[in-house]
Amino acid sequence: MTDDKKYNPVTPKIADQLKGIVGAKYVIFDDAEKLEPYSHDEISGREYAHMPEVVVRPENAAEVAAIMKLANREMIPVTPRGAGSGLSGGAVPIYGGIVLAIDRMNKIIELDRENMMIVVEPGVITSEINEYIKDCGLFYAGYPMSLETCYIGGNVAENAGGAKAIKYGVTSRYVLGLEVVTPTGEIVQLGGKLIKDVSGYNMIGLMVGSEGTLGFFTKITLKLLPSTKAEVDLLCLFKNSEEAMSIVSKIMTTVGIVPASIEFMNNCAVKGACDYLNETIPYKQAGAMLLITIDGAEEQQVERDYEAIGEFCLDNGAIEVYIADNTTTSERIWNIRRNMAEAFNAFSSRQGAEDIVVPPASVGTMVALMGEIAEKFDVMIPAYGHAADGNIHTRIISRPEWSDEKWRQILNGIQSELYQLTAELGGRISGEHGIGHKRKNSLPYVVSENYIDMLRTIKRAMDPNNILNPGKIFDL
Amino acid sequence: MRIIVAIKQVPETKSVKMDEKTGTVIREGVEAIINPLDLYAIETALRLREKHGGEVIGISMGPSKAITALREAIAMGFDSGILISDSAFAGSDTWATSYILAEAIKRIGDFSLVICGERATDGDTGQVGPGIASFLDLPVASYVSKIQIPNFKSQISDWGTTLRVERLIEDGYEALSCSLPCVITVVKEVSIPRLPTLRGKQRAKRTEIPVWGRDDLDVDLSKVGVNGSPTRVVKIFRPKVTRQCEKVLAKDDESIKEAVDKLAHLYLRLLCR
Repeated sequence: MTDDKKYNPVTPKIADQLKGIVGAKYVIFDDAEKLEPYSHDEISGREYAHMPEVVVRPENAAEVAAIMKLANREMIPVTPRGAGSGLSGGAVPIYGGIVLAIDRMNKIIELDRENMMIVVEPGVITSEINEYIKDCGLFYAGYPMSLETCYIGGNVAENAGGAKAIKYGVTSRYVLGLEVVTPTGEIVQLGGKLIKDVSGYNMIGLMVGSEGTLGFFTKITLKLLPSTKAEVDLLCLFKNSEEAMSIVSKIMTTVGIVPASIEFMNNCAVKGACDYLNETIPYKQAGAMLLITIDGAEEQQVERDYEAIGEFCLDNGAIEVYIADNTTTSERIWNIRRNMAEAFNAFSSRQGAEDIVVPPASVGTMVALMGEIAEKFDVMIPAYGHAADGNIHTRIISRPEWSDEKWRQILNGIQSELYQLTAELGGRISGEHGIGHKRKNSLPYVVSENYIDMLRTIKRAMDPNNILNPGKIFDL
Repeated sequence: MRIIVAIKQVPETKSVKMDEKTGTVIREGVEAIINPLDLYAIETALRLREKHGGEVIGISMGPSKAITALREAIAMGFDSGILISDSAFAGSDTWATSYILAEAIKRIGDFSLVICGERATDGDTGQVGPGIASFLDLPVASYVSKIQIPNFKSQISDWGTTLRVERLIEDGYEALSCSLPCVITVVKEVSIPRLPTLRGKQRAKRTEIPVWGRDDLDVDLSKVGVNGSPTRVVKIFRPKVTRQCEKVLAKDDESIKEAVDKLAHLYLRLLCR
C-alpha cells in the first residue's frame, strides 16, 4: 500500500496552528529556499530527497506531543530530524508534511557523577557530551564517525555504531532511559537511571534503532564509563586483504587483546586515499592496511598491548607497523581513513555507499568477494570500515564516462549480487546507517517476510494512523 | 657525516590554554609533542644520512619529560639523543638557549651539519637556529626548502665540502652554497616526515639517553636561565579581533555593482597598506 494517498496537505491554517504551539519564529512555511536544507540528509543523489511542507522546531516534550496530536487529527505525516547527517534517508520527509527538527532541544540536563550517567536532550552534538564531562574522569563511549556534527538523538534513533564498537558496543549499550513522545502524542518514560530493569517489555531496546518510526525522544539517559588514560594507534601495512583480514580475528583469539577499534582498508581504498593525500608511507607495495587503536587505563599496559599486537602482525606478514602515541602522528594516520570519502568524491560523484555487516569471522570472505565483483563489473570498489565487528563500508564508484542510466543499471546489478552474498553469509545490508527509505526495497534480501510482518504489526499498534516517519524501513 | 638536530618539546597546539592572569601558557596536563616543524628537520637529517652515511644525533633542552621527544626522534631513525636539562637553564630565552645548545654541540664535536626546524610553535621566534650558528661562528642558511651535497666524497673528511641549498624567500627561492660545517633551518617544503615504526619504538625504548647539565657543559651560569636571559616579557595580551560585517543584498544590477565597488575599494586599501 502506498501511504501518500491518505495524507492531507499542510494548509496555511495548519501552519498557523503549529506557530501557535512553538512560536512563529520556529516555523518555516511557504519558503522553498529555507525548506530545502530539510529535504535531504547526507546521501548523495537527488532521487532520495523530498521537500517538506513545513519545518517545526519545538523546544520541549509538551510541544512535540501537541504537534503529534495535531498531525493525527489532520492526517499529516511527521518526520523527525536530527543533524541531517544520516546515510539512509531516515530524516527525509518522503511524503512531505511536517519535519520536526530537534536542534533547539540541545541542553545537557544533568550530569550524575555518582551514578556515572548523563541526561541529555536529543539535539546535543555527540562530541559535546565528552567535551562536557572530560574533566570528571568519565566518557561516553559512543563513537560514530560523524560525532562532531551528528546529534545524540539521531544516534539513538539509528542505533549508531562507529569505529569502537568491537570493544565498546553500539549506542544501545549505553541508553538506560528515554522520555518518548509516542506517534499519537503521549509522553511516556521508559527505563531510567537503572542498570537493571525488567518491568515489562524491553521498550528501550525497541526504541533504539527504530529510525524515528516509533517515537520521538525528548530526554535520553546515557551510561558513562571511566575515561581511558592512554591510547595508541598502529598502522599496519599488509601485502593483500587476505593477510590483513586473517589477522583481525586472531588479534582477539590468539593474542588475546580486544582493541578499541580495528579499521580495515583494501587495496583500492589505500591507494585512493594515499594518492589523494600525497602520503609518503610505502603504500604502493601494500594491498591492505589495518588501523588498530588500543586504549586502556594505564600507559604501560597499553604499551605492552601494542607491542604484542605489532609483533604478531610482523610475524604474520605485515610489511611495516607504524606507531602513533601522540596527537600529531595519530592525526596523520587517521587522516588516511577519514579522507577516504573525499578521495573518491574527487574521482566521481556517482557512488553507491554500502553498509554491509556480516559475522566478524566472515569479513575476509566478504572482502574477497567484493574484489571479484569489482573485477566482474569493471568498477572501483574501495572497501573500508570496522573490520573487527564485521561492518564494511563499500563505495561503488561509477566510471566517469558512464551515463546515469548505465550507472544505475550497473549499481543495481552489483547491489543484487552483493546483497545475495551478504545473505548467504548470514549478514545484513546495514550495520549502522539504517534502512530508511534508501534500503527498504532491498531488506527482503536478508530478512524473512515474517520478520518484516512482525515489524509492521508493531508499527500499526503504536502508530495506527501511520503518522510518524512513514515509508521508512518497510511499506505498511 | 655527523648531523646534529636540535628539537624542542612543545604543548600540543590544539589543547593549549592561556592563563589569563599571568599571561603564560598552561603546560600542566597538556600533551607534550615534538614541535611539529622540527619533524621536517628530523626527516631532512635522516634522508641525508641515508644518502651519505654517518650518524644523526638529536639534542633537546627542556625539563626531564622532554626525553620522550628524543625517544620519538630515535623511533623515527636517530642514532642517539642527548637531553640538556638543568634547573639553572630553566626560563632561558632564545639567546641563552642558543648559547647552551651551542656549547652542547661543541661538546659532541666533529659534526658536519646542524639542522633545526623553522621555529617552535609555542615561542614562534625562529631565532634559536641562527642563534646557535652565531655562537658557533658558523655559516647559517634559514628557511631551507631543498638540500644537496653535490661533491660529497667521504664520510670522514667532509670539511670543505659544499652544501647547496634553496631558501624560501618572500618572492621565490634563493640558491646558496656554503661550506660545511654549517647550520640550516628547514621549512615544511623540504620533505614529508616519516612515521615512527614499531621496531623504531622498541629501539628507542632500549636506547639510553644521557642528560647533560651545568657540570657537563662549559657554560657561564650568569648568562643562562631567567636571570641570564636578556629578554624580559613585560606584558602579554590577547589581540582584540574586530570584524565589521556589512551585508549587501544583491537584488538587482545596481546593488551588485555597489557590492563589487565596495570589494574593489577594500582590495585597493589592502594593497596600499
